[in-house]
Amino acid sequence: MRKKELKLVVTFHTTADAMAMEKACRQKDVPGRLIPVPRSISAGCGLSWCADLCDREGIVAMMEESGIESEALHECMV
Amino acid sequence: MNFNLSDSKKKLALAGVVCGLVAAVLAYFGNPANMAICIACFIRDTAGALGLHQAAVVQYARPEIIGIVIGAFAISVATKEYRSTAGSSPMIRFVLGMVIMIGSLVFLGCPLRMVIRMSAGDLNAWVALIGFILGVSTGAIALKNGFSLGRAHETQKESGAVLPVLMAGILVLLLCTSLLKFSESGPGSMHAPIIVSLIGGLVFGAFAQKSRMCFAGSIRDIVLMRNFDLITVIGGLFVVMLIYNIATGNFTPAFDTPGVVAHSEHLWNILGMYAVGFAAVLAGGCPLRQLVLAGQGSSDSAVTVAGMLVAAALCHNFGLASSGTALDAETGELVAGAVTPAGKVACVICIVVCFIIAFTNKRESAK
Repeated sequence: MRKKELKLVVTFHTTADAMAMEKACRQKDVPGRLIPVPRSISAGCGLSWCADLCDREGIVAMMEESGIESEALHECMV
Repeated sequence: MNFNLSDSKKKLALAGVVCGLVAAVLAYFGNPANMAICIACFIRDTAGALGLHQAAVVQYARPEIIGIVIGAFAISVATKEYRSTAGSSPMIRFVLGMVIMIGSLVFLGCPLRMVIRMSAGDLNAWVALIGFILGVSTGAIALKNGFSLGRAHETQKESGAVLPVLMAGILVLLLCTSLLKFSESGPGSMHAPIIVSLIGGLVFGAFAQKSRMCFAGSIRDIVLMRNFDLITVIGGLFVVMLIYNIATGNFTPAFDTPGVVAHSEHLWNILGMYAVGFAAVLAGGCPLRQLVLAGQGSSDSAVTVAGMLVAAALCHNFGLASSGTALDAETGELVAGAVTPAGKVACVICIVVCFIIAFTNKRESAK
């Protein structure tokens, strides 16, 4: 079984924002992947963006540049 | 108070096993065997009990529905996860709720019942699974193309409690008055004792809230992210019901099994569940998930539930609901279940409506 690590998890207000995030990240070679919002963060069932903690600055800058609004940035075991 | 049911696949499977046990217990104590805890059927029965339709064989205020909503409400309040939200295109969600119910009653069951029927060997349900997967996949394509109903916002905390309170009101009517209708024959007359049904619903709702059990979401997550967490919950439920059906002699791998309340019109089994899967992804969850989300404070999901309730009544008032294969009581001959002409038209309209909703509501216009 894969060992859990502390990761950056970006949550969004809508699933569409999460999909837009994936598209923007792929276009701009920003690392990370879509995952279901971890249960420890929310009882909702939306999507979130998961990346290494060290990529935080690049991700935040890319979101500002692309006009993608996050709900929150979390650090949690994924 | 907090317990995490979703930090491992084993725990998720355990949540599914618990829900499967609840379904098996309800079937054992008198619910129609392969309905057990079908959300669409039981909302339809509740609509009948309230007098919204006059189909005499499907009228009973199912305590399971009341229990699921109140169970999800109670556990979310107790674990501080209750959030009263609203405002994500409520009337479109009402229409999606209608589509979900119409598709379900063309197939004869919600996704939960589809899985229960699959566990009983009903091959029609396996055929319908194809349609459900295709429907969810179409919804996933819409999500990839920027589909959005807009974000929900925090609202007055009382708003999210309205549906649980209304459900409690129906329970009071059931227990203390003679206002509600009760079927004297047919599926509506078959039920577990009220207290067993209510406790079963409460437990099911609580575990579904904690595990985020969702039939549409589980396939959506596989399609979009190759994530198998939610399908693990469904797997747990399926295995328990499979064992129950084999142990009680209810496992019959066949298409035309009398008494299952199913039909063998393959195209319409596929299209019915296609509509359900498609609409469920657009609405953010299957019928069960809508009840649970409404319980934990989402007024948008409560509106979806209202759409399902109204559509359930319309299905019987307008003759949209299919009939199940059964033995003729007098001749003993097998009478094949069938989809009605009106049901076929409604099903096609529902699919068209899903496409219109899916490809006209975009992220940019939702902001």
